Amino acid sequence: MELQLQLRKQQGDFSLELDLKVSGERIGIFGPSGSGKSTLVNLLAGLTRPDSGQILLDGQPLFDSSNRVYLAPHRRRIAMVFQQHGLFPHLTVRKNLLYGHQRCPADEQRIGLDEVAEVLEIGDLMEQKPDTLSGGQSQRVALGRAILASPRLLLMDEPLSALDDDLRYRIIPYLNLVSERFRIPFVFISHSLVEMRLMADQVAVLEKGRLAGLVSPEQLARQRMGQSPTGYINLLKLGVPVERQGLLAYPWAGGELLLSGNAGTESGLFELSSKDIILCKRHPDAISARNLLPCTVRSLFEAGSKIGVELDCKGGTLVAEIVPDAARELEVTVGSIIWAAIKASAFRRL
Amino acid sequence: MLLSASDLQAIWLTIRLASVVTMILLLVGTPVAWWLARTCSWAKGPLGAMVALPLVLPPSVLGFYLLLAMGPNGPLGWLTTRLGVGPLPFTFWGLVLASVFYSLPFMVQPLQNSFEAIGERPLQVAATLGASPLNAFFTVALPLAKPGFLTASIMTFAHTVGEFGVVLMIGGNIPGVTRVASVQIYDHVEALEYGQAHRLAAVMLIFSFLVLLGMYAWKPRPQKG
Repeated sequence: MELQLQLRKQQGDFSLELDLKVSGERIGIFGPSGSGKSTLVNLLAGLTRPDSGQILLDGQPLFDSSNRVYLAPHRRRIAMVFQQHGLFPHLTVRKNLLYGHQRCPADEQRIGLDEVAEVLEIGDLMEQKPDTLSGGQSQRVALGRAILASPRLLLMDEPLSALDDDLRYRIIPYLNLVSERFRIPFVFISHSLVEMRLMADQVAVLEKGRLAGLVSPEQLARQRMGQSPTGYINLLKLGVPVERQGLLAYPWAGGELLLSGNAGTESGLFELSSKDIILCKRHPDAISARNLLPCTVRSLFEAGSKIGVELDCKGGTLVAEIVPDAARELEVTVGSIIWAAIKASAFRRL
Repeated sequence: MLLSASDLQAIWLTIRLASVVTMILLLVGTPVAWWLARTCSWAKGPLGAMVALPLVLPPSVLGFYLLLAMGPNGPLGWLTTRLGVGPLPFTFWGLVLASVFYSLPFMVQPLQNSFEAIGERPLQVAATLGASPLNAFFTVALPLAKPGFLTASIMTFAHTVGEFGVVLMIGGNIPGVTRVASVQIYDHVEALEYGQAHRLAAVMLIFSFLVLLGMYAWKPRPQKG
């Protein structure tokens, strides 16, 4: 999918001015609220028109002010998943799912109801009305409905922000699974850096209606480490744990990590802030932190007033942050060996 | 028999009038309400005010202007004469036309409210799923506005049943043609037939109360969007 934008839109005091060309299957749009993300989504879907400029999707003009082209939203075949699920309350789940499907030209229909229901695990809900569904179920049905329209592009406008924290990260695998399985490119909009890293390959960063950069989510996370109150969030995939001395030992990379007992006994994705990793030059004899890992410094980067240290721990990657003073004392250089200490309670399951 | 033949005739005429007017207003009022609910045009204010005028105008004023317009020298009268229908005052259809104007806000306002309550979002969702605006209107907006349609139809019907001033101005008092129940009661009172006036008045009172009771007691389950 290739998306090419060059547009202007004035809305009251706010103006959006973008010149952007991206290609890929998993595009992110990141920015704080008020940065113009939702305006951009509405322009892409055709729900509002730019004042001037053009929008090209795979070379086809959706809007072109100089040639007076404006493709109405129902002709764009760009489906959308909204913040609130937006299911039609008067229709059953089945009829909601089929709404876009039935309006898609027969030769473009390439995704079947049963397949989508199976992937999203919503087969049992078919005859229910939307007001009987939970938040997570509703959002899965909304996703299924969008997919079943066999769109050329799927826009996801903060689809997780209305969900509770623990539910949010249970929906993400569905989002990825669906776009991969049905080969639908998407644009994912969010103000959450973690969501960006889980969903996008490339991120367009918006600030006050202007493009502030087009970067990989990893780069973005590192750039923002210095300003973020939570630091850089390490996303760790941990295996199935075994109990050890009242803690849970999760396999990770070539070794294991000890977590406090309330982290659950399944494998999963965990977050660990760069602020919660303490670096030591030598092996401390005794320390309260339950994880003490020998690491090699792979790279160093600056982020604001902090220095990020990328560590290789038996094949696993961790990013820790330190102040320049500490960097001098520790004498960290690329290739040096260092010990990372992490408390068992510093991990949080996503 | 509780009611006389002429009373029954008046009731039947009233029901016929109210049904026809409700039907016409469903067709005319829906697009007007839809437009008013969704437009940002400057014309929204003036048109909204015009629709609401019958709520505050004395029926005699409305009736007077309609009488002039429908008369042989008025634009409507000219048109109906040209079409071979003849002038409309003192005919059933003249009464229908006048009632359509008179009851317009009772159809448009509840519909407009319920269209506004639906909001933009469901229609935007429908559009991104490939529904044309007209298709989205029929498959999303209409079903979601169903309670509004019910309220608007009942209000319009009941209000048309209850009108008196405009009927007198436009329709006069011709049995079987323009003499509706409210006029019939007036006639009974004028003729000092209080017994008959009582019975017909009671029918109207009970009817109106039941309609309103039904509307206030019946609260549709709010549908979460």
